[in-house]
Amino acid sequence: MNKLGRRSKIEFSDLYRFIIGLIAGIIMFFPIYLTVVGGFKSKGQIFVNPFGLPNPLSLEAYEAILIRGQAYWTFLFNSVVVVAGVLLLILTFSMTAGFAISRLSFKGNALLYNFFIMGMLFPLTVAILPLYLQMKSLNLLGSRAGVILAEAAFNYPLSIFIFTGFFKEIPRDLQDACYIDGGGPLMFFYRILIPLSRPVIATVSIIVFIMSWNQFLLPLLVLSDSSTFTIPLGVMQFQGQFTTGWNFIMAFITISILPMAVFYFTLQRQIVSGLTSGALKG
Amino acid sequence: MNTRIDSQKAHIKLKESLMIIMLVAPALIIFTTFVVIPVIQAGYYSFFKWKGLGPLNDFRGIENFIRAFNHPVFITALMNNLKIVFLSLFLQLPTAFLLALLIGRKGFFGSMVFRGLYFFPYVLAEIVVGIIWKFIYDPQYGIPTFFARLIKGGDIQIGLLGNLDYAFTAIFIVIFWKYIGFHMILYIAGLQGVPKELEDAAVIDGANKFQVVLYVIIPSMWSAIIISVFLSVIGSFNVFDIVWAMGQGGPVHSTETLVTYLYNFGFKRFAFGYGSAIAIIIFFLCLIFNIFYQKYVVAEK
Repeated sequence: MNKLGRRSKIEFSDLYRFIIGLIAGIIMFFPIYLTVVGGFKSKGQIFVNPFGLPNPLSLEAYEAILIRGQAYWTFLFNSVVVVAGVLLLILTFSMTAGFAISRLSFKGNALLYNFFIMGMLFPLTVAILPLYLQMKSLNLLGSRAGVILAEAAFNYPLSIFIFTGFFKEIPRDLQDACYIDGGGPLMFFYRILIPLSRPVIATVSIIVFIMSWNQFLLPLLVLSDSSTFTIPLGVMQFQGQFTTGWNFIMAFITISILPMAVFYFTLQRQIVSGLTSGALKG
Repeated sequence: MNTRIDSQKAHIKLKESLMIIMLVAPALIIFTTFVVIPVIQAGYYSFFKWKGLGPLNDFRGIENFIRAFNHPVFITALMNNLKIVFLSLFLQLPTAFLLALLIGRKGFFGSMVFRGLYFFPYVLAEIVVGIIWKFIYDPQYGIPTFFARLIKGGDIQIGLLGNLDYAFTAIFIVIFWKYIGFHMILYIAGLQGVPKELEDAAVIDGANKFQVVLYVIIPSMWSAIIISVFLSVIGSFNVFDIVWAMGQGGPVHSTETLVTYLYNFGFKRFAFGYGSAIAIIIFFLCLIFNIFYQKYVVAEK
């Protein structure tokens, strides 16, 4: 009994762990592998050999999409515009709002904070139908600006929550020192708060970037012309075309996830901790 | 003299108020216009029969809600969401927990690489993930077909997504695959908070592996579990993109979820009143869960 207890010292040996982890890793990664190799096959190869490595390597699909086709570049451009717009709206205005809420005293301060935070209760889906009509009445239907505004709006609760929480922790002395030196609140915001917030800015940016880059329902609701489509809408449209073979779809998906994959594997640690800390806070 | 100071003070006060308004207004206006007003409108529209055009005057009371619960497709959608909740809680999260126990220890060789691999699907768009798996399930090239041919031989085609009995399971596998890494990472974060001395003490007291996990590890990382369960349930009620990519709720509405139902029967048919009622039902399901959860689970802790 004692012997058994010691042997099973909570964990079993690292080799077993590694092997099981590896098997799980292969299973987890297999769909991605299929996608990447699929794009380098010809139509015939996909049929005969869907799982193996491409032999010979065919660039037919990539050539068609990247060189002969325009669609991918259009979608990429639109995605970049939308993500940049959302990031800009979120970072500037949730920081200014968070600053006012956390560092300036005024009536209705707490009420305002709760008003924003309450937004976390509402899943996007609750509002989509009236949102559509709202977009229509504001003449935003079909425009990227509409998508940007709506995505930003739904992300204010979390980002304001994170910024306000962070700003509150900054010692009052810093603010007083700034005032004594003759700076106003705005000076304090610019010179002290923003430089101190770099890690939080990174966290919020990562959360917002991934949300916006992958967002499908809102663009689906607002955009109708494929010249304004973002990548997720574009991928959906592309695979729906009857003439498109799987090798084309796989190539298309591969280059669509490439920006995200590069971003992910270079900044993995920050992204994982950013997303989970965002979740832990929300 | 006094009045001058007062007016100066008032001037400063005004300047400050203006500044506060300028700082807060942009976020407030955008948030109100695109979140708060539409949410309130959804509540209001849900009592009307309305096509989104013309006057909003055909008041129907709670008819839309009654209609929903009498519509078999709505019930299918609701049941599918509940199934996703159930399967996530009892299959996906425990598996994620085991993975966390397996590779979560600091200094374990390959830990970071494995984490990276398991987590990667989480950062991909659901729509992209759905399409990738459509290929995996493809009746001609897919994995099920491949194995069927391997075992039985001949020119068999297995189309899981077109099959009434299997389409839902096939879609759940995708949800399982996409989100398992996220929950695992939450648990790994939780594991860091488990005091090592406590584990050792339990082992010295003769606890076996299972007991250590049950009585030491799980209670010490309870807050990570609480968050993971919460996100999983709320997420399960809002599944849309994956189902949309893999068949838009088909075949014959068998994989419909509440949100695809809202889209198919509300938005596509311009039934803004009825669709809003569906939206309100989704909201209340989340809200009721939220309240119970806060009261009985979060507060217990």
